[in-house]
Amino acid sequence: MISDEALMADFQRGSQEAFEELFARYRGPLYGFFRRRLQCAQRADDLTQETFMAVIRALSRYEPRALVRTYLYGIAMNLLAAERRRRFRDSPPGQIAPEPLSNDAPDAVLWIRQALERLDESEREILMLREYAQLSYAEIAELLRLPVNTVRSRLFRSRMALKGYLKPERKSGEAAAGEVEESVKLTRAEGGAI
Amino acid sequence: MNKIMHPIEPEELMAYLDGELTAARAAATAAHLGECAECQIMVADLRNVSQNLRAWKVEAPESTTPAVIAAALSEHRPVSRSIAPARRSWREVLGGRRPFAWAGAVAVILLVAAVSMPNLLRTRTASNTFRQREDVRLVPSPPTAAPMNGRQFDRTEQFAKLQAAPPVSFRALHSDQATGGNNLPGNGPMVIRTAQLSLITKQFDKARANLEAILRRHRGYVGELKANDAMGSARTLTATLRVPADQLDATLSEVKTLGRVESESQSGQDVTSQYVDLQARLTNARNTEQRLTDLLRNRTGKLSDVLEVEQELDRVRGEVEQMEAERKNMANQVSFATLNATITEDYKAQLEVVPPSTSTRLSNAAVEGYRSMADGVVSLVLFLLSTGPSLLLWGAILFFPVRLVWKRVRRGFPV
Repeated sequence: MISDEALMADFQRGSQEAFEELFARYRGPLYGFFRRRLQCAQRADDLTQETFMAVIRALSRYEPRALVRTYLYGIAMNLLAAERRRRFRDSPPGQIAPEPLSNDAPDAVLWIRQALERLDESEREILMLREYAQLSYAEIAELLRLPVNTVRSRLFRSRMALKGYLKPERKSGEAAAGEVEESVKLTRAEGGAI
Repeated sequence: MNKIMHPIEPEELMAYLDGELTAARAAATAAHLGECAECQIMVADLRNVSQNLRAWKVEAPESTTPAVIAAALSEHRPVSRSIAPARRSWREVLGGRRPFAWAGAVAVILLVAAVSMPNLLRTRTASNTFRQREDVRLVPSPPTAAPMNGRQFDRTEQFAKLQAAPPVSFRALHSDQATGGNNLPGNGPMVIRTAQLSLITKQFDKARANLEAILRRHRGYVGELKANDAMGSARTLTATLRVPADQLDATLSEVKTLGRVESESQSGQDVTSQYVDLQARLTNARNTEQRLTDLLRNRTGKLSDVLEVEQELDRVRGEVEQMEAERKNMANQVSFATLNATITEDYKAQLEVVPPSTSTRLSNAAVEGYRSMADGVVSLVLFLLSTGPSLLLWGAILFFPVRLVWKRVRRGFPV
């Protein structure tokens, strides 16, 4: 299989097929990246497209300093930050409500989201980049401008915390499960997002 | 987890699961896992967390390439760099990936240049001026046309040559006047001699007494005398002494013995031609006076003519008296040399017998402290007033470029 970097080089030399291959490889993961962080599926799709549009626009400036995967997620993170800033700016003051959870999401997903929400923001981001985007420690460190050891220790801390948050329903008694169920219902009613 | 019992850290177990360990470390971890039940539980927990998280799946996006991407691709058709260079954006032309960094650097250089340029120019101008002055000093002075008329003799050697000729004594001048005043006073030149001497002495009072004795011995007198005896500083005596010209050298050598010579200089002004000129004019005026007197005595005429002759006679007599005084003054200057002597006491600071009281010192310290605080506040306000507007201006100019550069440095990705 041709590497991402070779495809990018081909695309720089004018090969549209190389771009289409890159698009096919990363459209799903990038959509998942946005989808897990935004409630609106359409907006997630738009931002995925925006990421590739940015790659096309910045093609002449591209230098193979990092992996293409890191490059793409770097663009995606910038777009996500811009999206959050825009939402914050457009919301009237005092009414910045988090995106509501969709009611059709399965309970397991709500349970995971609620557990993730309890994590510290930077730890959650590291964990999600590792678990869902499958990025290496070094790639996460480069994306978030952190030392690799910091990434590793925060990742460990978040996993240990998450182990505690996820335990009650699966492994403790009925009372704990009921408590979680209660909070899930509450979240559905009031709305909440990561 | 105990490190002695567990040679593998829990974080390393996690890194092992994530495939982030080196081959050797991964092998060691695998070996340890085989025999450590506690670590196996930890690994199972970590795997469980990842497995739980994977339950959150998202739906797949549409499989076709969106129209906007296709349009952008056709519109922004990449051109092979090896065939023809891609059209370069203004950012690339200006400085590649970091034009704002370049712009910021240029702005900083301009700022530094603007601040330092006036100083540089000033320094250069000053060095040029200095060089010009040096050039002037290096160029030899042209020889003077009139060798002796009013010429100053600052150098000791030249002065020594003049000294070889015997100066005219006051008595000789008076005898000249008695014999009619037409003759030159002696054969040598007439020189007004001036000497300057600075001394430092440890015995100030003794030196002062000795100075007066030396003056008496050489028939000199004090023209002017100033003494300074301020508390806490060295005593000084500044005196303008007049001694007969032929006694100047002897006087100088004796005065020098009063202390350590700090500086000494001598100068001479040749007034021979001025004196001769004055003598000639004086003789003429006297002859005119004589003729007018004869005229008044022997001739008779109208009253108005007599009055006119008398007026003329008065004028001529006034001139004669004025020139006579001038001649006497010049002769006096020639016959009596001037010695400007400064005697300074070799000052030794003495310990205060009564030290200032603690309360005085405290109040002094408080006053000084208040003064320095006030000075500091005033200096700060002055500094802010003088540089504040410039700083604000530059801050406003550089704020946005610096912020953009900072953002770009923070995030190396487009968008």
